[in-house]
Amino acid sequence: MLILALLLMSVTVALAEPMSDIRLAPGDSRQGYERADYVTDSLSIPARQGISANLLANAQSSHLGLPTLSSYEQEPPDAAVIEIGRKLFFDRRLSGNKTMSCAMCHIPEQGFTSNELKRPIGFEGRGLKRNAPTLLNVVFNRRLFWDARESTLAQQVWSPLLAVNEMNNPSVGSVVDQLRKDTQYDKMFEQAFGESANMLNIGQALAQYQQSLLAADSRFDRWHFGGNRTSLNQLEQKGFEVFTGKGSCSSCHHISDQHALFTDHQLHNTGVGVEDSMRQTPDTIEVQLAPGVLVEVDQKLVSVVGEVKENDLGRYEITLNPKDRWKYRTPGLRNVALTAPYMHNGEFLSLDEVIQFYNKGGVSNKMLSPLIRPLDLTIEEQTALRAFLGSLTGSNVKDLVSDAFAAPVGDVSQ
Amino acid sequence: MSKLSSLLIKFVALSLIMVGAAAHADETCMSPYMAKIVGQEDFVYVWTLGEEGLGDEQDKLVTIDVNPISPNYGEVVNTLSVGGRNEAHHSGFSDDRRFLWAGGLDTNKIFIFDVHSDPAKPTLHKVIDDFVAKSGVVGPHTFYALAGRMMITGLSNNKDHGGRTAMVEYSNQGNYIVTHWHPTDEDLRGAEKSGKYADGYGYDVRALPRRNAMFTSSFTGWTNYMMDFGTMLADPEAMKRFGNTAVLWDLHTRKPKKVFDMPGAPLEIRCAWDPNHNYCFTTTALTSQIWLMYEDADGEWQAEAVADIGDPSKIPLPVDISITSDDKGLWVQTFMDGKTRYFDISDPFKPKQVYEKEIGAQVNMISQSWDGKRAYFTSSLLANWDKKAEQDEQFFKAYTWDGDKLNLEFTVDFKAKKLGSAHQMRFGAYGLYGLKRPYEAKNLVASGE
Ligand code: HEC
Ligand code: HEC
Repeated sequence: MLILALLLMSVTVALAEPMSDIRLAPGDSRQGYERADYVTDSLSIPARQGISANLLANAQSSHLGLPTLSSYEQEPPDAAVIEIGRKLFFDRRLSGNKTMSCAMCHIPEQGFTSNELKRPIGFEGRGLKRNAPTLLNVVFNRRLFWDARESTLAQQVWSPLLAVNEMNNPSVGSVVDQLRKDTQYDKMFEQAFGESANMLNIGQALAQYQQSLLAADSRFDRWHFGGNRTSLNQLEQKGFEVFTGKGSCSSCHHISDQHALFTDHQLHNTGVGVEDSMRQTPDTIEVQLAPGVLVEVDQKLVSVVGEVKENDLGRYEITLNPKDRWKYRTPGLRNVALTAPYMHNGEFLSLDEVIQFYNKGGVSNKMLSPLIRPLDLTIEEQTALRAFLGSLTGSNVKDLVSDAFAAPVGDVSQ
Repeated sequence: MSKLSSLLIKFVALSLIMVGAAAHADETCMSPYMAKIVGQEDFVYVWTLGEEGLGDEQDKLVTIDVNPISPNYGEVVNTLSVGGRNEAHHSGFSDDRRFLWAGGLDTNKIFIFDVHSDPAKPTLHKVIDDFVAKSGVVGPHTFYALAGRMMITGLSNNKDHGGRTAMVEYSNQGNYIVTHWHPTDEDLRGAEKSGKYADGYGYDVRALPRRNAMFTSSFTGWTNYMMDFGTMLADPEAMKRFGNTAVLWDLHTRKPKKVFDMPGAPLEIRCAWDPNHNYCFTTTALTSQIWLMYEDADGEWQAEAVADIGDPSKIPLPVDISITSDDKGLWVQTFMDGKTRYFDISDPFKPKQVYEKEIGAQVNMISQSWDGKRAYFTSSLLANWDKKAEQDEQFFKAYTWDGDKLNLEFTVDFKAKKLGSAHQMRFGAYGLYGLKRPYEAKNLVASGE
């Protein structure tokens, strides 16, 4: 009887088509929440199930629109190493109080970022001053973080692991010891590296998992690089013209002949940061209390219960060169429809807001990039640009998210 | 769940209802399944948040002597530090009232204190630290005694730290039994979506055993309840992540039956005591309304907003509430203005505020005695939602209520005593466990000489 039930279960699993079920947005949909006629469209947590993907194959194969990985001087991908990285990435025990994993801020179905607030929060609810970037295609970023302060993924992991406002592990050694003491991890490390966990191979494992998160072959790629003329509709094609022409977006968000990463790997001042640091605090702010219920709240009330927001000077914080004030790295725009809110501070909630910002010429300041200027885009051109940005979602993102759903979540057990 | 075990639950639940009908709880907001204190309470246990830079910086159970005839009246007689800042929040007794379960909304640890061996000095009996691994639920909030069981509401989950969550049922021994997910659009679990919302959020739970009804409310996920309050108010995305529902459940089968729309984060639920009063109150934190869930003439449960609390446009933020044992009054604390407000609810459809008093710069919890003559207040809401700097008053205040006004009896300053942030209160008494008050025992000996 039991065996029969198990057999039936495995058959249904094998036959199921989970990919069509994966929603590339928060399972707790709040679309239309501004309006009084909002209706919920919430997904069930127990039904959040996925199917493991062949991440090694994903890392090794070529993806239409992306450069090949080997040109990026990474460690050659290895299935056993990726597997460790994947386990670590979702392991909430990897933090000082066993509640934060990488995935609590880089949430798979939210574009491997956090859609549900501007800037994520970490250990004991401490605030972070920047928006979490997506980890899809992160391997192609020549420098990491919004201020480009880090160089490799394997090194980068120690920033969140040790930051007091992220995962707040007390030391490198405590993380290493924890993994060595865990028989499951210990076996995996021995098998993959021929040695137990250490500072280096922990970084390598997490790097290799992230390296495998390649997501391209978007409708844009099929149209632009694959020669499929109908893969983009008229509006999106028009948007591409604006992106590369009148809008001159591609002067920073580069598109090459063979592939497109939509970044020049440089840092620029667009004015977002200046605005954030220098603007006058308004007397009141608008606060939404429920669907369709908005009130103006006195700033004094907010500051009684609020901390002073940490300042952010961008690249300057690394170089101490006044010319670098409020310069941030140009982010790649692949999968950008999935990664709201936008900019280093998450200030813009939608792509429409981003486009309006560029259209008015950013925020003027002494160090504003000369490439940022008022664009005079018509409403149609803005709509087209918006549509184009929506065509950059990789065709395999659902597979990667489904794989993430299938990954074990590490929690304290007895 | 197997047929057998659900039958078993029904049986145990039924037998306990009978015990419940005979006994009353001491304070007015607890499970009807619980034993009562006879007369004056001896202690208030305050589940206290550790504060960085203050004292030993960790969460603790603080025991305050509140019996006016005790030589230690008004004093902290014990503190029990548990290690870590867990976001100490709510607590609840087991049905036999021998153990106090207290949860941490951040670390998800559950601390079970022995309060019966020596009510003056609770000890740590057991720590459950695999709550999340067992259930997938984050943020153990309400601990509500059912027959032989502890029903624990969650606030979040370990997948996205958002508001979709479940109730988790444990045995009195501290063993995980089953997870009851709140209804979502994708899986209503047999419930009727009576309006526009089925968000799957959770917060509090209360039961009306005589109607086989259980009610839950809805708040917000880890991300929001751990976030700096001011930062959250200024983040329009975050402000979309609040619960807008209450759910009616079948108490025996634990199946959700009906989802009510209740916009603006309904929090504490308090059900009426009178056997003919088939209704429960709750208040919405963000929209500042009193809501009534009631059984109509056709035996159908309905929900209705019945009053505003203060000026909702100023976000007074109603937090804890407490119903009097005669169902005539409802205490409502508003966190932002530090006030307690007394509503006449003789007509449950027309609550009227008849009294208010500022308790401090901020106020959250209230516990009142069964006779309504004593009321205790504490200050803390959530570690990162509490007011900042000098407005972050942290206290326990004991008042008497003469029917017209509150009279302050004493204050314990939790900042000055370096204890932390005072949160939830539960009553303790020697009489519950057949014990004599030590000072009365001594007097006896003395007079015998
Ligand atoms: C508390 C939230 C949080 C946690 C936990 C967290 N991150 Fe991040 N992550 C961020 C934020 C915010 C940034 C941007 C910081 C900056 O640019 O200064 C970031 C940046 C990154 C980047 C750089 C991406 C780029 O394009 O430059 C990588 C890679 C990354 N995180 C990986 C990880 C890994 C691996 C872990 C777990 C070991 C992790 N993160 C844990 C919030 C988080
Ligand atoms: C001068 C170079 C430059 C130009 C021109 C430019 N961008 Fe950007 N873009 C940036 C930089 C730098 C950022 C990050 C700014 C910040 O966070 O403060 C950015 C951010 C963005 C983002 C947010 C991405 C994310 O993940 O948060 C979008 C979307 C975007 N740009 C679209 C466009 C579009 C559309 C245009 C043309 C209208 C354009 N950009 C023109 C440099 C540029």
